[in-house]
Formats: sequence, C-alpha cells, structure tokens
Amino acid sequence: MDELLADFVAETREMLEASAGEIVAWEANPADRARLDTIFRFVHTVKGNCGFFDFPRLAALSHAAEDALSDCRAGRREPDTVLVSAVLAVIDRIVAMVDAIEAGEEFPEGGDDALIASLQPGFVPEVAEEKPASTTHEPASSILEKGEPEDPSAETAAASKADSNPGVQRSIRLPVDLLDRVMSGVSDMVLARNDLAHRLRQAGNQPTIDGPFERLTTILSDVRDAITRMRMQRIETLFSAMPRLVRDLSADLGKQVMIDLEGGDVELDREMIETIRDPLTHIIRNSIDHGIEAPADRLANGKREIGLLSISARQSGNTISIVVSDDGAGLNEERIAAKAVSVGLISAAERDRMSREQLMQLVFQAGFSTAEEVSNVSGRGVGLDVVRDNLEKVGGSIDVSSTPGVGSMFTLKVPLTLSIIAGLTVEVGEQRFAIPQSYIEEIIDSKSKSLDFTRMGETALITFRGNRIPCLTLSDVLQLPGKDVADGEHTMVLLRLASGDLFALAIDRIHQHGDLVVKPLAPAVMQSGVYAGSTLLDDGQPILLLDVTNIAMEYNLISDARTRVLQNAAELAEQQQQEELSRAMLFTDYQGRRSAVRLELVQRIETAQAEAIDISANGKRAVIDGVILPLVGLPEGERPSGKIRFLRMSDGTCELLYAVRQVEDAVDLENSLKPVDDDPLVEAVTLVEGQTVGLLNGHELFSRYGEPPEATTKPTCHLPDTDWARTILGPLVDAAGYEVVTGEAEASDVAIILDDADAQEAPSYGECIRLRSQPDAAEQDDSIYRYDRDGLFDALRRARAGGTR
Amino acid sequence: MNELMIIVEIAGRRCALNAHDVSSVIELGEVTPVPRTPDYIAGITAMRSQSMTVIDCRLALGIDPSPFPTDDRGAVVKVAGYPYALIVDRIDDITTSHAEPGSVSGGFGPEWSRVATGMTETPTGPALLIDLAQLIIGPGKLGQAA
Repeated sequence: MDELLADFVAETREMLEASAGEIVAWEANPADRARLDTIFRFVHTVKGNCGFFDFPRLAALSHAAEDALSDCRAGRREPDTVLVSAVLAVIDRIVAMVDAIEAGEEFPEGGDDALIASLQPGFVPEVAEEKPASTTHEPASSILEKGEPEDPSAETAAASKADSNPGVQRSIRLPVDLLDRVMSGVSDMVLARNDLAHRLRQAGNQPTIDGPFERLTTILSDVRDAITRMRMQRIETLFSAMPRLVRDLSADLGKQVMIDLEGGDVELDREMIETIRDPLTHIIRNSIDHGIEAPADRLANGKREIGLLSISARQSGNTISIVVSDDGAGLNEERIAAKAVSVGLISAAERDRMSREQLMQLVFQAGFSTAEEVSNVSGRGVGLDVVRDNLEKVGGSIDVSSTPGVGSMFTLKVPLTLSIIAGLTVEVGEQRFAIPQSYIEEIIDSKSKSLDFTRMGETALITFRGNRIPCLTLSDVLQLPGKDVADGEHTMVLLRLASGDLFALAIDRIHQHGDLVVKPLAPAVMQSGVYAGSTLLDDGQPILLLDVTNIAMEYNLISDARTRVLQNAAELAEQQQQEELSRAMLFTDYQGRRSAVRLELVQRIETAQAEAIDISANGKRAVIDGVILPLVGLPEGERPSGKIRFLRMSDGTCELLYAVRQVEDAVDLENSLKPVDDDPLVEAVTLVEGQTVGLLNGHELFSRYGEPPEATTKPTCHLPDTDWARTILGPLVDAAGYEVVTGEAEASDVAIILDDADAQEAPSYGECIRLRSQPDAAEQDDSIYRYDRDGLFDALRRARAGGTR
Repeated sequence: MNELMIIVEIAGRRCALNAHDVSSVIELGEVTPVPRTPDYIAGITAMRSQSMTVIDCRLALGIDPSPFPTDDRGAVVKVAGYPYALIVDRIDDITTSHAEPGSVSGGFGPEWSRVATGMTETPTGPALLIDLAQLIIGPGKLGQAA
C-alpha cells in the first residue's frame, strides 16, 4: 500500500482511539461542549485528509457530519440524541471504510445518502423506540441497518479482513526520543564489544569464546545497520507535499506547471529532511514565480503551454544531491548584473570582468533579490542568501546554472546525516582532534619541496603550486606547546572553506579517517569557538571536532561576501594560468633514462608481478585488475622479473601502461621545452633541477599503442583436489592470471594434472599441463617438474596464448 | 521540605547537591583536556558512549585547588540538557534535608555566595546547597581576581 495512505489510515485510527471515550461521553450528554469539539475536530480532519486522497464518499460523509456539528457549535442547532446517533453512525461508517481502504478492497456501494439524510435537522428515525440514550451504539447500528439492508455485515466483515490480511505491512509510530535512546544504546554496545575484543586479543586464542564472540559481532553490526535505517526516511515524505504546492502556486500566478518527481526512494536522516524542507520550498516558489513564464509567453516562444518543473534526488556516497530544474526563461544575467551593481554588491568595472557563471552565483549573495516587486509568492523576506546560509550550516551547498530561454537548474547538496560525518583524526602535541573531511582539500607533507615557507610579519605563508596560502599552526590556535612550523616537521592540511577561501593548518601527524558520530558539547566549551562537537574514538576515548569555519574567522581568513565572488573569479583565472604551466611526472625508465610525462596523462601508479606480462608477436600486454592493457617501455627481448612498476596512462578513452624502473616525483615544467626529432616517442627535452629530461610525446604514444581497456574474465585452471595443489600450486596459478577451480567443475580452460593422479577423472579441458613429481624427465615426456616454477609459468602462458583469448 | 541531598565536600566545605539533579556517580577515567577553555573545565570524558564536560568545582568557585585532595569519583549532573561530571574533594553521603535553604547573616563569602542557594539542614549537620547552573558558569572575572 502507498505509504501516504498507510499514514492516513494510521492517523485516522489513532484519532478515533483517542476520541472513542469522548464519543461515548458525548452520547451520554449531547450538550457537553468539550466533547462536541473533539468529535468535530475528528470529522474535520478526516474530511481534510480524504479530500487530499480522492475518497469522495468519505469526504461527503465527513463533510455532512462536520456541517451538522458546526451548526451545533455555532448554536444554530441543539444537539439531540437523534443527531448524536446519526453522527455516531457516520463515524462507524468512516471506520468501516478506512478498514476497507487498508485492506485494499472496494467498500460496498449505497447507504451513504441515508446516513447523510439522518444528519439533517428534523430527521425522525422510523424505529422510534430504539433510541434510548442509555445504550451506546445501538442507535447507530439501527440507522446503518436501515440504510443498507442489503449488506448488514459489511462493517464486521471489513474489520475482520483488516486484521487477518497478511499483505498489509503493519507499522507503529514511535517517539524519536526512543529511537535515539536505542541508537545510543547500540553505540554503547559497539564500544563494549570493542573493549571486549581488545581484552580477548590480550588473553590469546580461546576457541570456545572466539566463536560466540564472532557471532555477537555479526549480530551487533546487523542491529546497528537496522537502527541507522530507522532514523532514515524516504525523501518521498518531503516530495509528497510538492504537487500540491506547485498546483496552488501556479493557480495563484495564472501559470500552468507540471511537476515531475524522481528519486523519492532516496533515504535521508529525518532531521536533514526537516532542514531542507524550507530551502527546497523556497527554490520551487522561486522557479514558478520567476522562472516559468505565463502560458501565452511560453506559446509565443515556441514552448509548450505547460511548464515543467522537475525535482530529482540522488545519493552519491555520503551526499544527497537534489536538483530542481525548470524549463522557464532562465536567469537573466543582465538583470542580475544591473541589480548587483545598483545595490553595490559589485562595481561596474568588476561586472565587466565576470563571466555569466559567476554573475549567476550573485543571486545567493545577501541583499540581493531579482524580483522587481515583492510578490506574495516568493517575496517573503527570505532571499536565496538565507537558503544558502541554512544549507551551509549543515555542511551543504547550493549552486545554479541556467541557459537563457531554456531554463535554470538549482543543485542542492546535503550530507546524508547530521550526526555522522566523515572526518580525519590528526595529532598535535599529545592530543588528537578531528577535522571534517568535507573541508579537506589536500594533505601535504611539509618536507615536500613544493612547499615554500615564509613569514610575513606574524603571519605564516606557504607557497603551494604558485599560490601563497595563509598557514595556521594548530598548536598555536589551541595554545598548546608545539614546534615552529619552519623546522619542517609538520604535515600540512589544506582546508577549503565553504566560501572558497583556502588556508593551511600545520599539524604534527595524521592518524586515520573514518566516520565520526558527532555529539554536541556543553556551552562553556562551545564558547571557546574552536570546537564544533565531540566524537568518540574506537577505544571510547572522546576527542574534539574542530570548527574550521570559526577558526578561520578568528584569524580573519574569510573574505566577506562582497569580495567572495570576485576572489573566486580571480582564483579561477589564476588556476587557468596555473594550468598553462604544466606539471609532469618524473621517472627513470628501463633504459636508465630520466624521463617525464605530463601529469594529466597519468592515472595512477600500478605495481604488478612480471608474470602478469604477456609478450606476443604484436606487442606486450599486461593484466591489471582484470583488464588487459598494452604495455610500453620494456626493453626488447628482455624479460624482467619480480615486481614491476607501471604508470597507468589514459587519454580519456584509451589506456596504456608504461613500465618504469623508478618513479621520482611530480615536478613543474618551468623551463622551456626544446623539441627533439630523433625519438618519435619523445616530444621535447627540458631541464628539471639542472638535469635534462625527455618529455614523452603523449600523442605519439597513444596513437601507436593506446587501446580501450578490455575487461577480461580470467581464464580458469582446474587443479587436482589435493592439499599440495591447493596450498602450493594454487597461489602460483593465481599469480599467473588464472582463476583456480577444483573438484567436479565443468569445463575449464586449462587443467593441471599430477602424474601420480588418475588421469581418467579429468573432465573436458581445453589444455592439459602435466606435472611430474620427479625432477628427471622420462623420455618423450612433455610433463613439467612440479617445482619448476619458470617452466610452469611458461606453460601456463603458452596455454593462455594458445587459447581462444 | 524533605528532599534527598547528596553531600559532597568542595574545597574542604560541606556542600549539598539536590539528588534530582545528580544522575549518577562515576569513576572518572581518562579526561581529555580541552585547550582554550577556562581552567575550571578539566576536559571531556566519556561515560557509556556519551561525552560529558568535566568541571573542577574548586576552580569553578575560584578557589586554589592545590591544598585539597580529590575523589576519583565524579558526580554526573545534567544542566540545560548537557551532562557534566563534577570533580569534588569527596563524595560523602546521601541524606534528606528537612528545611528550606536559609541564609546566614554575613553571607557565605564572595566565592561561595555566587553559587550557593543557601544553607540547608541535614541529619548529619548543615551543608551549603549549590546552584548547579551557577557553578558551571565558572568564576569569570571574580576567579581571575582571586
């Protein structure tokens, strides 16, 4: 059943249970005003709800009852026992209908009109002697029976069906407090388990205890998952109100808007749903009010009369992104710019330097509103700046993109939960602190040469990739004893604030990163302004979570909103310049030459066993992560052994491996490049730290060798089912790039057979390798000695090359 | 009035905490210091995966703690929804008080007056009833002067 419908049924039942006593009391004394109010509220709520769900019969019944009762409340009518009976009959009928709705079946037709008629003033029940006020529900059922003589048992039948229907998922409502208590109880259990695990490890192996303990661990992690999910709610609950909102708004504004909702099954922390409710509503209002044009304008512009507003939610990792897009007029950059200049956000000169993208982000600045006049729809004194602030408060973000005449798109990003965040644990002095992962841009070892440390007055600066970045030392910030940054013993964490400002924080050591459960801190501790909360390490020790934004604010590292956009623009320009200055990966190849390759081409550095390399007539290949890639850079005719390092390069579609003897470092190509002709694979020669280095020609490399990666399923190799084969032969075969199968398997690509085994048992194999147990081969024997590693590898490789692959 | 009181000793003086406010008494394990907070905040500690702020009551009063020994147990109290663990000299006893807290002519002295609700009588003798909300605010300027 629809989740909303289930809510409706549950809510109606709940109200009815709460007012059951009131109904009886009211029957005893129809003049009791307080009882009357309670019952009025009940039918009123039912009426409101079923209008929403399109249950016309329920609506008609509750509406009639509401009318009668409101007359009584207004004093236009005296409640008498006849009215009471009629109202009670209506309530009983509502209950029966709700039961039918829950069971998912049709409620029998007819009878409603008689009930509604009985509510009219002056209605005289035919069975006059059956209305003594002392009996409770008899009058009600008398009307019911009279109204629908053809089906007197409908009520009871429907009720019993609701109870016995197994297809209906039962749900209960719980206070969130209780959930939180259960959740913290489970967290306690996890900590107790960790403590116990620690003690068990100290006590050594105890099979009788380890087994049950393992089980406890598994159960506990299951329970923890379930509890975490209990706090989650589908974003549908938020989406469900949107169609109505859109309908009302568009009707008010004389526009026609169709709403398209997608991703309602994405789950989000309950609290987070509440947090994004207002921002989302605001953006929708904004889109309908300012984005989507009036029907006539739309037709004139060759669009469909009906505007489309689509809202979609998607989860990626720990973030939920919600995209609200409309096919309206789009943001008018000229008007935004003019407005921004007129309210003094930017100067005319600055405006000329800004791109369309940057201009559009101005709508999120404080003191900005494009609406020429404040309308009653989106002009509620809340601007997009408040939306942005509210989202940033919970670690989210918002941005907008738009094409004039085509539409605009707002993207909201929020973390999955408020209470669990990804964080990095760092150490300074003897103490540990946590930093939210979302701020961390990069971690640099300060010994790295790319870091240049200077002191301007009291302010420390580091130079990283050509940018001067202010640098704070965490031990100074926290007034802890610590070493000076200049001695180079620190690790730098580059932090990017929500405003886009960047600064470095010097710490002693990085510890670990993982999910942190954040708990609030007492006000006296919060007053210090450097902490955002506390969290517990695995061993139960509490540590403090740093408030990065506040620390930056204290040291005046945050530019104000006015300069923010401009600075971002400047930074972007700088980055573009930066990109022109290329960076390259420096390495020594197998000929012993120092070479470099442009950093953009390098995906990562891979290490593989020499056995993973396959040399055939048309080139070398290697298997990395189950993918066959072309291999370049190995000298001809020579087969390296042991582990080999590769640079895995990609041009976007094609990939290749470049074998290197040693990877050195990433360097800036500061000196001029001198083109060379003698080696087509080398683009140019340049100086790096006073030595010549050949820069690989990416174009040539990929045009010659590049291939789209080809995923392989590993070929299978059947092994005899003996201990020796499993433990000694297995890993070797695995390393040669085969998947090991044993036992009564169906056909495998290759099989290894021991000479002491019965050859008959072998099923259908593509190729057989026979192993003998004696080092010396008999004549005409193509078998391989079982400890002849090279021979075996060779045979396996041949088998693979000879196969269909 | 008959109310349960927990009698503790702070800086050598008998004090009473309303037992309603005290949720438990715990062994104070490892206390993680919190840099850049006033002295009287000894740090944070965890009890049953809940972290709480540890308050040194003597420093919170603005009294030099050195001459007094401390109990290795702390009283856990909840003020405005936040849990605090109080470091005191000694946790003594639970008893009932029979009278409304009263004042003493001449007051309790500048450090004590700020945090004291008044003197309360218990079967084991009089004790100073402590206002927890005032205690956790800390000594402020007064403390720095002392």
